[in-house]
Amino acid sequence: MSWDDKLLKQAKKIIKLYPQKRSALGPLLHLAQSKDGYISDDSITVISELVGITEVQVKSVSTFYSMYKQEPTGKYLLSVCKSISCEINNSSEVINKVQEFTGLNNNETDEEELFTFEAVECIGACGGAPAVQVNYETVEGVTPENAINLCEWLKETKPDVVVADEMQENFGGIKSFDWAIQDNSGATSTAPGFQTLKTTEVKK
Amino acid sequence: MSEKVNLNVNGIEIESDPNKLLIEACEDSGIHIPRFCWHKRLDPVGMCRMCLVEVETPRGKMLVPSCTTEVSDEMVVDTESDVVKKAQEGVLEFLLINHPLDCPICDKAGECPLQDQTMAYGPGESRFVEEKRHFEKPINISEIILLDRERCILCARCTRFSDEISGDPLIEFIQRGNKTEVNTFPNEPFKSYFSGNTVQICPVGALTSTSYRFKARPWDLKSTRSTCNGCPTGCSIELNSSQNKMLRILGVDNDAVNQGWMCDKGRYNFEYLNSDSRLKTPLKMMDNKLVEIEIQDVYSELTEFIKDRQTKVNFLLGSNLTNEDYVAFREFSKTISQSESSFYLNDDLLYKGFFGDNIELAKIDDLNSSDAIVVWAEDLKEKLPVLYLRIRQAVKNGVKLIVFGHTNETLSDIADVFYGKDMVSENFEILKDLSKMKEINNLVVGKNITAILGKSTPYQADESITKLFEFLNSNANSKVLNAYSKGNTYGAFQTLENLKGLNDFVNDISKDNTDLLFIVGADPIGRSVYSNQIKSIIKSIDTVVTLDNFNHETSELSDYVVPISSTLGEKEGTFTNIEFRTSRIEKLVPSPGQTVSDWEFITSLMNFAGLKAEANSLEDLNRKAYENLDSSLSPVFDNLDKPSNLDGMINISKPKISTSENKLNKTMFFTGEKLYGDSATERHSDSISMLGSKKFIEVSESVVEKYNLTSGSCTLTQDELEVTVSYEVNNNFPNDLVYIPTNRRELNKFDFSREILIIPTQVKEALNVN
Ligand code: SF4
Ligand code: SF4
Ligand code: FES
Ligand code: FES
Repeated sequence: MSWDDKLLKQAKKIIKLYPQKRSALGPLLHLAQSKDGYISDDSITVISELVGITEVQVKSVSTFYSMYKQEPTGKYLLSVCKSISCEINNSSEVINKVQEFTGLNNNETDEEELFTFEAVECIGACGGAPAVQVNYETVEGVTPENAINLCEWLKETKPDVVVADEMQENFGGIKSFDWAIQDNSGATSTAPGFQTLKTTEVKK
Repeated sequence: MSEKVNLNVNGIEIESDPNKLLIEACEDSGIHIPRFCWHKRLDPVGMCRMCLVEVETPRGKMLVPSCTTEVSDEMVVDTESDVVKKAQEGVLEFLLINHPLDCPICDKAGECPLQDQTMAYGPGESRFVEEKRHFEKPINISEIILLDRERCILCARCTRFSDEISGDPLIEFIQRGNKTEVNTFPNEPFKSYFSGNTVQICPVGALTSTSYRFKARPWDLKSTRSTCNGCPTGCSIELNSSQNKMLRILGVDNDAVNQGWMCDKGRYNFEYLNSDSRLKTPLKMMDNKLVEIEIQDVYSELTEFIKDRQTKVNFLLGSNLTNEDYVAFREFSKTISQSESSFYLNDDLLYKGFFGDNIELAKIDDLNSSDAIVVWAEDLKEKLPVLYLRIRQAVKNGVKLIVFGHTNETLSDIADVFYGKDMVSENFEILKDLSKMKEINNLVVGKNITAILGKSTPYQADESITKLFEFLNSNANSKVLNAYSKGNTYGAFQTLENLKGLNDFVNDISKDNTDLLFIVGADPIGRSVYSNQIKSIIKSIDTVVTLDNFNHETSELSDYVVPISSTLGEKEGTFTNIEFRTSRIEKLVPSPGQTVSDWEFITSLMNFAGLKAEANSLEDLNRKAYENLDSSLSPVFDNLDKPSNLDGMINISKPKISTSENKLNKTMFFTGEKLYGDSATERHSDSISMLGSKKFIEVSESVVEKYNLTSGSCTLTQDELEVTVSYEVNNNFPNDLVYIPTNRRELNKFDFSREILIIPTQVKEALNVN
């Protein structure tokens, strides 16, 4: 098995949360994503053994959902919304600027493995359109200029944890909803930040 | 709820069982609804939308997929309205958007549901001018199955089959949306004993077999219904030929037996029929060489023996004869010799079985209606593959499954209780007191049980199974399915009395009691665990006559070799399956050269010798086979040919088997057989010949340590014999146990009652260097 003991232990903990082993498939795939930045065939083999289904069944699920990446991603996955609300709020310009800055086409990763860029369908932040996600941490009301600032900041400081609230403050505009609670935890990989998966950390 | 519901379909009142799917209820009443994804034997998924019909609802008429909608009382349905037609046209137009329409080079063309339904329900024109999606044309998803993803319409029949029915989901949908394709995991091919079924149920030409690919056009095929004689399951099949060559076998849906499925060996082990290596002329041993002679000469020379009624004649019969063949030999034996002849079945595992007067024998369908199934036999997936599928089906329907024995691992993953090495010793004895086992008390005691019982390996003591049987018989309401695993064993049971096995052959036969030995459709030297003993017996006997399709290790030691037609497609007769269901074996193709049927040979010989044969024709023999049975119920041709009896007729006459217990000593090695081996027929069936050619053993973990096995292969040696094999660790085995599949030649040549040495490959190479 290509997973180390620590990860395996964590996987087993996750499996225990479900009445049936195979129900843990989704979270385990996120775990694999957080480990390698994509779902490797090795991870698929490990997961298939852990939950007792065949490898191709795991592959079937992992290739169905777009959040499980089939190719390695960079440190930061930049997802810019291209759906209707964002589009009428100038998201195509945001997309242009991000692409210009990173030099990436859709679904490409740069050579330094810093950025992966993707234009995605609605990410549920229409009220704060146009919206951008960095490793699934959402920033709303992002102007084309701020999109570049965001990218520059990522490139320069290379934070290990990206936090939605922090980015919102520095690079965001209007928000669809204000929770009024400061949340300092953020994502540590190109998998969404979940506590049970330990893919999230509080930024110091 | 047994009350019927009434519905109105296209203005016609029809009746249906409740809980039926609309598509099925309509079908039963003769109203056909087009479909791609729905298949009677698979769970509905509603993938393709071809079966849309209009149903009246409180909110007006609605289009619903009839394959996922259950009937209800007073339902009003229209399957032919303009809206339905428009929907069907739309679905077909969409399906054809990406379809390559390469019908001219597609095997399915002519029997393709997509073609047929496009003709019947399609729009006739496509508005799609863009580029279709492309995939590499066919990819091998296993050694015998090819997949053309461009042709696939994503109906999920193949993937559902492999998941729901055969339980080896090695193919699945990969990707999503427009990119969706069926595929395997890299380096994890679609290795299944049942993969041929997916080719049969694929509604397009996406899945094809190496065996039939580009061989024929369906409209050129001749076909007939028959019965597979590969194992006692006796699947109903359809044989297809073109230009007098057998080209394909399909499963036929016999509800009580195989429900349309087959195993791949049954499906593809027919190619040998067309092999150039078939025996075509009789041979005689002269100066240690088999030379061709005329069949008339065989008759006249053999006549010399049998005219003298002092000649002592015995028979070693294979298990792939028809019932009529068996009867022919029986009748022959009655007329030719003053001393009584014995019949030996070519089976290492023949044992007395459970047929006593107080025992109720089970039918395959009883699996579904019992509370629990108890299995202790050879590995059923290897030996009775489609029976294994029926067990899976029963388990899916909620029947409990209790499996004994480390050799039955293929059932262990669906078993409610798997009694492996903790319960069954390396001697194949049950270690614990059954009445004290909690699971047994819960699932078995006082319940309706179907017990599938048989010997797992020759050295297993009969007594150990008897113990389990007796426990079940006295503590539960049990029926027994005796799991003999070779071809038409039950046909032999019905037609021959006092049958014996190869162990008896070895004990009984010598040149003192046998002047003339007939060996029919059997290569015991090439396959039996008693190979060496049988070889020396055969060598010692004055005259040995072998009848078979191919020359093999046994025929090569015979005085006469007679080429015979194969029971598969080359002759007519009957076959009896594991539940004593007798059905038709049909002829579709001529047999090559001077081949004759077994029964023809033997009746001709009798006529030549001037012996009065009571049965001179196939019909006579067929009647003789069932003369003890009430004539209206007996499976004679006239009855079997009635449309209501096409699925066969059950007639239980309990056999008398007079085999004595196997006397093989227990060593570390136990033998069994895998589905695929390298018998003559398999070697000459090109598309599957590689599946049974690998020589391997299975070992317990402790053997690996004990013998320091590291390289993945080792050499087995005993006396002069050395065989290099690969080994696989089997964690279900008790310590210090080695399994040897003896239907791979050479591996059966050891003397299994003595120790065999295991030498790790590297060590041996090192020794050779020195
Ligand atoms: S390969 Fe055939 S059976 Fe399988 S999904 Fe495609 S069309 Fe259906
Ligand atoms: S299960 Fe037995 S009878 Fe059925 S196809 Fe296979 S070999 Fe033939
Ligand atoms: S459209 Fe962009 S977040 Fe909904
Ligand atoms: S047959 Fe009903 S949706 Fe395919």
